[in-house]
Amino acid sequence: MISSNVKIINKLGLHARAATRLVNCASEYVSEIIVKKGARSVNGKSIMGVLTLAAATGTELTIEANGADEKRALQAVIALIMNRFGEDE
Amino acid sequence: MSLTLKGHAVAPGIAIGRVHLAERNELDIGEYRIGQDDVESEIQRYRNAVDAARDQLLELAERIDPEVAVPAVEIIQSHVLMLGDSKIRKSTEEHIQQELCNAEWALQSQLEKVLIEFRSMDDEYIRTRGEDVTQVVRLIQSKLSDEAASKPFDNIPDRLADTLVIAMELTPGELAILHERGVAGIVTEHGGPHSHTAILASSLGIPAVLGVHGARSLLKEDHTLVLDGGLGIIFADPDSATLEHYQDVQREAEHFRQSLESMRGRPATSRDGESVSLQANAELSRELQQAIDYDAKGIGLYRTEFLYLRGAPPDEEAQLAEYRSAIEMLNGIPLTIRTLDLGADKSSDALDFSQLRRSANPALGLRAIRLCLRDTDLFKTQLRAILRASAEGPVRCLIPMITNVQEIQRVHELLAEAKKELNERNQHYDHDLQLGGMIEVPAAALAIDQLGRYLDFISVGTNDLLQYALAADRGEELLADLYDLQHPGVVFLLKHILKQADKLGIPVAVCGEAAGDPRYTRLLLALGLREFSMHPARLLEVKQIVRNTHLAEARKAIREWLNDPVLQAETSLLQLLDQAQSSH
Repeated sequence: MISSNVKIINKLGLHARAATRLVNCASEYVSEIIVKKGARSVNGKSIMGVLTLAAATGTELTIEANGADEKRALQAVIALIMNRFGEDE
Repeated sequence: MSLTLKGHAVAPGIAIGRVHLAERNELDIGEYRIGQDDVESEIQRYRNAVDAARDQLLELAERIDPEVAVPAVEIIQSHVLMLGDSKIRKSTEEHIQQELCNAEWALQSQLEKVLIEFRSMDDEYIRTRGEDVTQVVRLIQSKLSDEAASKPFDNIPDRLADTLVIAMELTPGELAILHERGVAGIVTEHGGPHSHTAILASSLGIPAVLGVHGARSLLKEDHTLVLDGGLGIIFADPDSATLEHYQDVQREAEHFRQSLESMRGRPATSRDGESVSLQANAELSRELQQAIDYDAKGIGLYRTEFLYLRGAPPDEEAQLAEYRSAIEMLNGIPLTIRTLDLGADKSSDALDFSQLRRSANPALGLRAIRLCLRDTDLFKTQLRAILRASAEGPVRCLIPMITNVQEIQRVHELLAEAKKELNERNQHYDHDLQLGGMIEVPAAALAIDQLGRYLDFISVGTNDLLQYALAADRGEELLADLYDLQHPGVVFLLKHILKQADKLGIPVAVCGEAAGDPRYTRLLLALGLREFSMHPARLLEVKQIVRNTHLAEARKAIREWLNDPVLQAETSLLQLLDQAQSSH
């Protein structure tokens, strides 16, 4: 298992569009992806889980990946978040 | 008798037309027991319904014209994800198995559990997403019940021009259908400013008022209705003064739309005969098509990040295939490909995330060309793909966030290596491929007479240049007044870039948002800019301003302003430029 912290920096936070992209990205990998905000943790492949984190901009998250392709999966998810989910802002 | 109702103002615009009440068959969800032997078939029935629901959503997403409705497609994608979400899918199947009840009821029980979670959220936007879950569950339930309510829009006419649809609520899919049929406006009883109906209506440009309680009982079929989406008000059977007022407003808007449309096919030439090159920032095929439709003279900024955000970094062939399809579509219109402008690396094992994380300010961190020069394998793969693309059509290469000469020299070295590798493979490329630099760093802007010697062209990224020059985050709403292109320091910076580049004889484009903002068109023209690259939707509006500008007058006005600090402090430059036009 590997993990990394990342800050949500896009303006709208983990709203529906960003959450959709995160879940689609996480689902491309076989590894289990866990997204943590403080004490709460949710399945990174569940849109409802990710939405109910209510992670606004500025929120610090921990992403954990566990599985055969954990390194690539973690990097992909972190890159997506750091690049504002590809949103133009 | 006239009647005025108020709701949430969610999507601006005026609609005038006749009322149509949309009916929806409410689903009646009953509970019944199933035998142990029926569990498997009941779960299968449930899975079939989920599949049918998914098919319907995907088919809808296919049908929606992406040029106008990317958000609609994305909302539908989020619904598709909800369909397969373990919180619904797996737990419903477990519920059927454990409670031996029918699928509709199991699903309903799960919905209620999920809704409790959503309703407890502090964030109103997230709370509202419970509505999306409800819509998704209703869709599955309608599939379970075969025919009833699975086609809720049977009574909606095929053509809805001059018709306002009044509904209890509308799903994103239903709204997309109404849009296709040309609906003039919508009113719903449910839904607030954060609902997807609101977000979607606004992005589709459908005037809408949501949350009008009792609308369906108060309004009658074929009532005349005026809807003011900006104010969130509807007038049923309005008095003649109200009706005439709104008809005037609508006519003016239509007049403006037509005047823009008339710009198509006309040259972007100023009143005193100087030509300007209007180009587009585009990467997706719908944007490229829009750029072509609106007479773009080039794609001044083709971003490539999207290739890297889909999963694993694309290999050379995959990139080449993307560039090739853009080149084919553009059919001779020049394409400026910007190399990767990302802030995090996905492929390099050498890069440590803890290091990136410590970067307190990612805007000033390891990104764009800085990152590419640290991962030369990744970068050279892209350079080779761009080089090979240059054999197939007019292509230029643009490097983001150039800070100093050493970076440009390093890019030239890597480009030479990439060319050598292609020579060894006997692959073709344009030997004179032009290399440009994006100027976003203020120090680079000031040193342009030096940097420019190593570049074939320059593109100014005003979004970042402004934020760095003014030390104001462009996403920070409270600093919006500081983030101002008219700041004399910024104007001098732009003037400096244009003047020095002109001395060196290299072309300059602006590809930031300022290039597509009609308020700034005259200012940029007056400073000497002749290449603008913008979102394709803005091309016609900017062209209209170019054609209405007398450039010599604009230059004269800005010269006075640049030489007069008192004038700078006391007048608005934009107003000054507009006045100079009208006095002419």
